[in-house]
Amino acid sequence: MAENQETPVRKKEKKFFLSNTITLFIVLIVMLVFFSLTSESFLSTYNLVSMLSNLSFYGIVAAVLTMVLISGEIDFSIGGNIGLTSIIAAILIESGVNGWLVILLCLLLGAAIGIFNGFLVTVIGVNSIIATVGTMSVWRGLAYTFSDGQSIMAMTPVIDFLGRGKVLNIPFPIILFIIIFAVCYVVMNHSKWGRKIYAIGVNPMASFLSGINVKQVKFLTFLFSGIAAALGGLILASLSGVGMPQHGEGLELTIISAILLGGTALGGGRGQILGTLVGVLIISVLYNGLTMLNVYYYYVQIAQGVVLVAVVATYEVRQKRLQE
Amino acid sequence: MANLNVKTGEEKWYKKAIGIFTRSKTPIASLIILYIAMVVIFASFSPYYLTIGNFRSIFNNFAVLGILSAGITIVMIGGGFDLSIGSTMGLTGILCAVIMLKFSFIPVGIVMVIAVIIGCFLGLINGLIIAKIGINPIITTLGTLAIFRGIAFFWADLNVRIYSDFWDSIGRSFIGGIIPYTTVYILVIFIILALVLKFTKFGRNLYTIGGNEYLAKLAGIKVERIKIASYVISGLFCGLAAIVLTSQLGSGRPEYGSGKELEVLTVVVLGGVTVGGGKGNYLGTFIALIIIGSIANGLVLLDVPVFLRMVIKGGLLVLAISIDALRNRRRLQLY
Repeated sequence: MAENQETPVRKKEKKFFLSNTITLFIVLIVMLVFFSLTSESFLSTYNLVSMLSNLSFYGIVAAVLTMVLISGEIDFSIGGNIGLTSIIAAILIESGVNGWLVILLCLLLGAAIGIFNGFLVTVIGVNSIIATVGTMSVWRGLAYTFSDGQSIMAMTPVIDFLGRGKVLNIPFPIILFIIIFAVCYVVMNHSKWGRKIYAIGVNPMASFLSGINVKQVKFLTFLFSGIAAALGGLILASLSGVGMPQHGEGLELTIISAILLGGTALGGGRGQILGTLVGVLIISVLYNGLTMLNVYYYYVQIAQGVVLVAVVATYEVRQKRLQE
Repeated sequence: MANLNVKTGEEKWYKKAIGIFTRSKTPIASLIILYIAMVVIFASFSPYYLTIGNFRSIFNNFAVLGILSAGITIVMIGGGFDLSIGSTMGLTGILCAVIMLKFSFIPVGIVMVIAVIIGCFLGLINGLIIAKIGINPIITTLGTLAIFRGIAFFWADLNVRIYSDFWDSIGRSFIGGIIPYTTVYILVIFIILALVLKFTKFGRNLYTIGGNEYLAKLAGIKVERIKIASYVISGLFCGLAAIVLTSQLGSGRPEYGSGKELEVLTVVVLGGVTVGGGKGNYLGTFIALIIIGSIANGLVLLDVPVFLRMVIKGGLLVLAISIDALRNRRRLQLY
């Protein structure tokens, strides 16, 4: 019932979001046109498919992390989590463990990492930024310790399929990516749980008073982000064929940029899974296009920082105007 | 009625002196106990721990960390956050080294001034974006972290060795062969900043803003200006830290200082500066600095593998922040 009664503010906000998504789509199309005009190989099927399978592993993490951000928390430890999972997967494969079991164990590892983060944030009550910046370095350090700084081969049929397999000529990671995005979309827009996440992001106190178990919901979002990052790590290990302690280094910046680009607010309460999808697409087109144009990596890094700050600045300015 | 804690103005002089450094309550007593326990543990495991040479290197090695944490303490007391310190320091350092390499006619003193100006300028960029546009400080400094680091890599192909004896001596010389000059710098910086926090309007306003920004605004404090100033101060100390770092390492490299923000955060949080702002003082930060410096040194003496040190550093940050959270916990934490 409450969903049908749209207050003027909510309507305005919806309109705001819609115009944002349209703007982002226009940006995306302009970028696509620009890169296909300047680089001849950008529009080749090979490049587009490889770009899509490369973006899928962090797109999955971005989709789930959007939930964490909407609930008003943040998880910086995803990059370290990806590195650790890829190493553990490689070590397990090397010691001859069955591929399915490797996947299961790695997802469990991701869940354990998520539980640890969630425990710190919800039970102990630590600020999630500092907590996950700390755990980020713990997971990364463990990845280096277990692998002794080396990269380890990760080749076994099941794992190979995860990153490089094809179903109906579509790469499997892209399919996984679409499925997970769809699930996140349905959860956030058409389920009670998704509504709870939005409510908590807007006002945790009011949500608690109206009977939402705030801690439980936040805990679960951290758990899911841990599992998603582990899945991302598995796909990355499969795509590259090795488990590497450096896997996913600096990825948290990319992923969080993509999410914020999509219109999710850092304080929580505002954001859309579809926005994240567009954000992920824009970031990876930017990366891929700049690489195709032979731009040095550090220019890409600068571009990424500028995009992040500029985009959030425009949101902030527009949001201020909306409130006035 | 008997135990009303009224200030009578007849406090002992030493209490007043300590009061300057303990403007807001931090867990100093427990930090000191932690430090003593650590010294005992390390001393019992390694015969080299309790030597003058070792303490000399402990104090000289945390110089960069100390200068950086001096700046970020100001920012965090004001409720801000600065993740870009490592990059700011790296960029300033390589710029100084490049200037000395390409324009060797410029006197070293002027290069130092340039370093401080560059640091202040980078801090000003952060401050303007955060205070004027109103973006979350974490996002802003995460973005500028990438930008500054990317700019520093412009000079990645240069071999910027520093050939200045004076520059080299800044971070590597000792008074009487024992006390490092860098420790003197840190003490001077910390004392000046503690006095600033205690006795100036800026200091008081900073605590007020950290405590409640909205009320501070209502009370007529120029919040924006003070916030920008705090980031400029943080940038200034990044510039100073860059001087000491390039002096100690004898060169400028674009990757210097990456990941430093993690260590600095650990120091500051362990020292009792809260993430939301409004709390923290320099005595706490200083003791935490000694503790973190000693741990880094102890890990080397105990021959802990390099990669495991990363785990321990991250774990320490998590531990410090957990203790902080448990101490400042609301009585009934419901959500």
